[in-house]
Amino acid sequence: MEVTQVLLNAQSVDGSVRKHAEESLKRFQDENLAGFLLSLSGELSSDEKPVDSRRLAGLILKNALDAKEQHRKFELVQRWLSLDVGVKTQIKHCLLQTLSSHVHEARSTASQVIAKVAGIELPQKQWPELISSLLANIHQVPVHVKQATLETLGYMCEEVSPDVVEQEHVNKILTAVVQGMNSSEGSTDVRLAATRAMYNTLSFAQANFSNDMERDYIMKVVCEATLSSELKIRQAAFECLVSISSSYYEKIAPYMQDIFNITAKAVKEDEEPVALQAIEFWSSICDEEIDILEDYAGDFAGDSEIPCFYFIKKALPALVPMLLETLLKQEEDQDQDEGVWNLAMAGGTCLGLVARTVGDDIVPLVMPFIEENISKPDWRQREAATYAFGSILEGPSPDKLTPLVNVALNFMLTALTTDPNNHVKDTTAWTLGRIFEFLHGSSMETPIITQANCQQIITVLLQSMKDAPNVAEKACGALYFLTQGFEDIDQTSPLTPYFQEIVQSLLLVTHREDAGESRLRTAAYETLNEVVRCSTDETVPMVLQLVPVIMMELHKTLEEHNLSSDERRKQNELQGLLCGCLQVIIQKLGSLEQTKYAFMQYADQIMNLFLRVFAFRSATVHEEAMLAIGSLAYSTGQDFAKYMPEFYKYLEMGLQNFEEYQVCAVTVGVVGDICRALEEKVLPWCDGIMTQLLKDLSSNQLHRSVKPPIFSCFGDIALAIGENFEKYLMYAMPMLQSAAELSAHTSSADDEMIEYTNLLRNGILEAYSGIFQGFKNSPKTQLLIPHAPHIVQFLDLIYMEKDMDDMVMKTAIGVLGDLADTLGSNAGSLIQQSLSSKDFLNECLSSDDHVIKESAEWAKLAIGRAISI
Amino acid sequence: MAGETTPPSHRRHPIKHTVGNAAVQRRRQHAVSVAKERREAMFRTKRLCMEGISISSDAATDNEMMVDEEPMVLESQTSKAVEELKLAVSFKGKDAVEKKVHALRELRRLLSRSGFPFVEIALKSGAVPLLAQCLSFGSEDEQVLEAAWCLTNIAAGTPEQTKALLPTLPLLIAHLGEKSSLSVSEQCAWALGNVAGESDELRELLISQGALIPIAKMMLPDNGSTVRTAAWALSNLIKGPDPDAATELIKIDGVVDAILRHLKKPDIELATEVSWVVVYLSTLSDVATSVLMKADIVQILVDRLAASNNLQSIIPLLRSLGNLMSSDAYTTNVVLDPGHEITESIIRSLSKCLKSEHRFLKKEAAWVLSNIAAGSVAHKQLICKSEAVSLLLQLLAGAPFDIKREVAYVLGNLCVAPADGLGRPSLLLDHLVSFVRNGCLCGFIDLVRQGDLEAARIGLHFIELVLRGMPNGEGRKLVEKAGGIDAIERLQFHENDDLRMMAGLLVDSYFGETYGLDE
Repeated sequence: MEVTQVLLNAQSVDGSVRKHAEESLKRFQDENLAGFLLSLSGELSSDEKPVDSRRLAGLILKNALDAKEQHRKFELVQRWLSLDVGVKTQIKHCLLQTLSSHVHEARSTASQVIAKVAGIELPQKQWPELISSLLANIHQVPVHVKQATLETLGYMCEEVSPDVVEQEHVNKILTAVVQGMNSSEGSTDVRLAATRAMYNTLSFAQANFSNDMERDYIMKVVCEATLSSELKIRQAAFECLVSISSSYYEKIAPYMQDIFNITAKAVKEDEEPVALQAIEFWSSICDEEIDILEDYAGDFAGDSEIPCFYFIKKALPALVPMLLETLLKQEEDQDQDEGVWNLAMAGGTCLGLVARTVGDDIVPLVMPFIEENISKPDWRQREAATYAFGSILEGPSPDKLTPLVNVALNFMLTALTTDPNNHVKDTTAWTLGRIFEFLHGSSMETPIITQANCQQIITVLLQSMKDAPNVAEKACGALYFLTQGFEDIDQTSPLTPYFQEIVQSLLLVTHREDAGESRLRTAAYETLNEVVRCSTDETVPMVLQLVPVIMMELHKTLEEHNLSSDERRKQNELQGLLCGCLQVIIQKLGSLEQTKYAFMQYADQIMNLFLRVFAFRSATVHEEAMLAIGSLAYSTGQDFAKYMPEFYKYLEMGLQNFEEYQVCAVTVGVVGDICRALEEKVLPWCDGIMTQLLKDLSSNQLHRSVKPPIFSCFGDIALAIGENFEKYLMYAMPMLQSAAELSAHTSSADDEMIEYTNLLRNGILEAYSGIFQGFKNSPKTQLLIPHAPHIVQFLDLIYMEKDMDDMVMKTAIGVLGDLADTLGSNAGSLIQQSLSSKDFLNECLSSDDHVIKESAEWAKLAIGRAISI
Repeated sequence: MAGETTPPSHRRHPIKHTVGNAAVQRRRQHAVSVAKERREAMFRTKRLCMEGISISSDAATDNEMMVDEEPMVLESQTSKAVEELKLAVSFKGKDAVEKKVHALRELRRLLSRSGFPFVEIALKSGAVPLLAQCLSFGSEDEQVLEAAWCLTNIAAGTPEQTKALLPTLPLLIAHLGEKSSLSVSEQCAWALGNVAGESDELRELLISQGALIPIAKMMLPDNGSTVRTAAWALSNLIKGPDPDAATELIKIDGVVDAILRHLKKPDIELATEVSWVVVYLSTLSDVATSVLMKADIVQILVDRLAASNNLQSIIPLLRSLGNLMSSDAYTTNVVLDPGHEITESIIRSLSKCLKSEHRFLKKEAAWVLSNIAAGSVAHKQLICKSEAVSLLLQLLAGAPFDIKREVAYVLGNLCVAPADGLGRPSLLLDHLVSFVRNGCLCGFIDLVRQGDLEAARIGLHFIELVLRGMPNGEGRKLVEKAGGIDAIERLQFHENDDLRMMAGLLVDSYFGETYGLDE
């Protein structure tokens, strides 16, 4: 097959030509994968071929090796590994050869494909000669080969994990990269490629950073590169510094003075992309120190492996003025939507992090700037001053801030109503929100909101909700935190007199023509939700009046048909907001005696609306509607049974939704809610539900985060239907067992994995607890006896690993008790023989966490009986 | 693709952001965590409901769901358990025993719970006749054990509930025999001990049904748990008021040996239960007292007292020693000879008790000490040389009334020599002077002012000693100065003849019409 033409056709402007070409490529791939990949690599490596066909050949090759979805990626890896060795050798030869091509695009594409192959093969100990042949290229004279090789090394380091590359190779790679970065390197292309490669190589340099000489040299080269005349090199070099600041925080003390000078100069003089990275360096140092100081303050004082060097505190007198300076560099017509990133935004963000790192110390350094600028005629100065104030509200102590806030509050309220500049008002409203978020609430000793100023605050905020969308959005945010601060107030909330007005104003905002801008509508609904959630006995009757209003809104969205795709997207979003609002209302009204009965009169109608929302969206199920139904099930209890015949198909759809895994996860949670609501009445639906859940578990398409809740859901079902769970045991138990074994073998290398393992174990243990409790007092208890040994083993194992969190500990000791309780003497000897039950129990008995202790005391009694009988 | 690919630029979350995203996130997380809390509450509720363990009272009231659901669930569970037992008892097929044991076990677990009227419901549902059936002769051990356990829990209830056991008592006693396994007889003894503890009538009934000997025999072997239970049940059985059971008990072969043997064991709980048996034996039966005395039990008790630090174990030891001393002078005169180490040892131990935090120990110790103080002059001197005296003086000054009164007995006894048969006991002047110099007179005068007859009598006696004994007639001034005259005069019109006479005599003899004119 002449692949060149097909590849060119596949990029044709003519749709039918393109489609035909794509089909032929697909057919070729399906019929003869090896031949297909070989001809693609041939195409890529041949300098006689057109650039366009070579580029597409490389792209298809790359996509044949990697995919975003985990399961697809796994399949591709397996497919490559099972390919004939001779074929692979030939392809790899072509790829390496391409690195010497004179065509830049071909080289660049090849280097990415090489990295993908390396990502698959190096962990398998295949392609051992790759690194040496790449390093051999470095010494070749042609600059373009050197550049491509460095690029390849960089991509390769991004793809493979450091432990599959020997230190000897790492040393050589680093040497090559550092040489390429050196100021003596004549070619800008080579130097840029080397600097970018350095970024990825840093994670391999653990050993080298522990060696003073080598570290000094690397740092010197990186710092030098930040002074390059080439913007892209400077930017890449600063990115390296940022990476070093988080990976090698404890090693950079000797260089901090130099780095400060470099970053200060860049922030002041350099172009924005570079200046942003220079600021990012300090933000990143703040991240590190905040983490370390949090560890210091935690239960295990001084448990942090890395000591704090207090770089921020030391740099403070110079750092703060530098950052304040950036606040004055706003863009003229700055887009107020979320995601804006410029010098002022980055500087304020960094200032906020600095405040969190050093606390009170920042206040005297920032206050003069605020005082000087807050009343200046130039809006930039007023905005910068306000922004500075808003940024430092988290971190310093309330003692320090409250007096300042008391003075500032009135000023801010006035500015929000009268300042002519939109940008200033936006930042002012945001600052008010920050004040309420961090300095208002029941835990504060001196309240900043008083009877005297409450009315003014609300009047101003409600007024600002009529301002431009960006200002109105920030005003909603301020109201959100204001409301939240009164969350656990016992007596009459100061908001009570204004409740009706607040609700009305928020509803008005949701109806604004321009509510789609600046995410204003979302902010208004979420603020309304918070108002509902925090309503008190006095105001909750008004929440009840809100029910038909929101229902009507939802109903209206269901009446609109024949919409454009954009309108349809907006409609979906609105339905989500309304379902979310109903969810909060249901949770609130359904849980209070005062309102429950009156609210229940709406239950049928609300459920009907939810069912229509589902029917409306044919394919996928609305996550928010699902969540709301969970709350409704809890409120209605056994009565929810009447909705099941109609609702079940949507439940099943939700459980089948692999792509939108959050929907699946929420639906799994709703199954639990329904089990608790219906108890044994859920039985008729269980065959279908269990079938779906088991399918979900065996699918490698489903996101792993859904699996722990599915296990917990087994427990919910068993608890609801008791011994009727018998028929599912033969499926559920092996699944649980293999998941338990899997969780035992995960290497606990990174925090994310440890967290997932804990979640998984918690899910498994909750399943066991539910099953034991469900079978208790049933003559079928003996069906569980054969499973007891591995459960006890599992408990032994998680105890001995010593990395379980409190959640797992509590669930685990509960399972031990449930096992003893349900199986009685059948479990007695098993527990006595177990390696660690006794130690585990004792450890839990002496736990500080009273919930763990309570579970342990219960387990102790249950075990005592099981052993004594 | 291809072309320019730059490394991902660092883009952090801007500090200035819209409220929406975080709020949505937070709201959804809240919804999910509510579900998680409900699941946990459910686990907890099930554990509490089914298991009958009162974990902690605040845990039970914290959780609304539980408060709402528990009683109903539990009530139906209890009556259901009795119903199950009924079915199991009438079941004749294979596994009949297994079914019964299972049903009994369920019932027993419910009955073990506190804080809810399980027993009441079980009784109403007709549990006792079923349990009696399960105790029938020839039943499997496990079945009898579970039935007896159920009955034990019922017997621990209110008096009415305990009486409900009446029809089962002969069977429970029958299972005490040597043919039963240890655990069965122990459980039966436990049930019977509960019954015996309830009332005099039930005690008599049990003794008439022959419970004493088999329970006593359970004390003979060396099995700790069985002996402990048997000793506890025996204490309940012999605690009177009829002393016959105690006398009968001491005559049973091997009982005395067993008591002495167990008292020497390191097992504190065991020794404590056994010493309670000694308390009742020595309280009620002189025969028992003299038998025990001759068996040299005092030495064992004193040794144990010296080694004990725990309130629960000290109380019966003190009580036993006091009983033995007060009922037979042999104890004080012969066993506790002032020259023997044992006597110093007991005084040391009693001083320790006087120092204790527990008011009860102080009082009991003072009572025992008053018995020693009633002994020979040498005994008195021994006490006066010990640290006990200063403790007693402190207590007289500041302790609550009941302790004060016991202390006053001791101090009073210490000031007089045993009567020589010629009327008034002679004074031990140096003791008296020393006590008075240490300010004890006020304490005694205070006792006179209390409404208590006995206390007033001790007080008056001591005042008489002071008036009579203090050198240079100093007594009168001291008594007057301490407000004694007023206290005595009040008694001149007391309804009790003795007191009135004593008070009148004192006033007439020492504070007559001439009083005050001498000077």
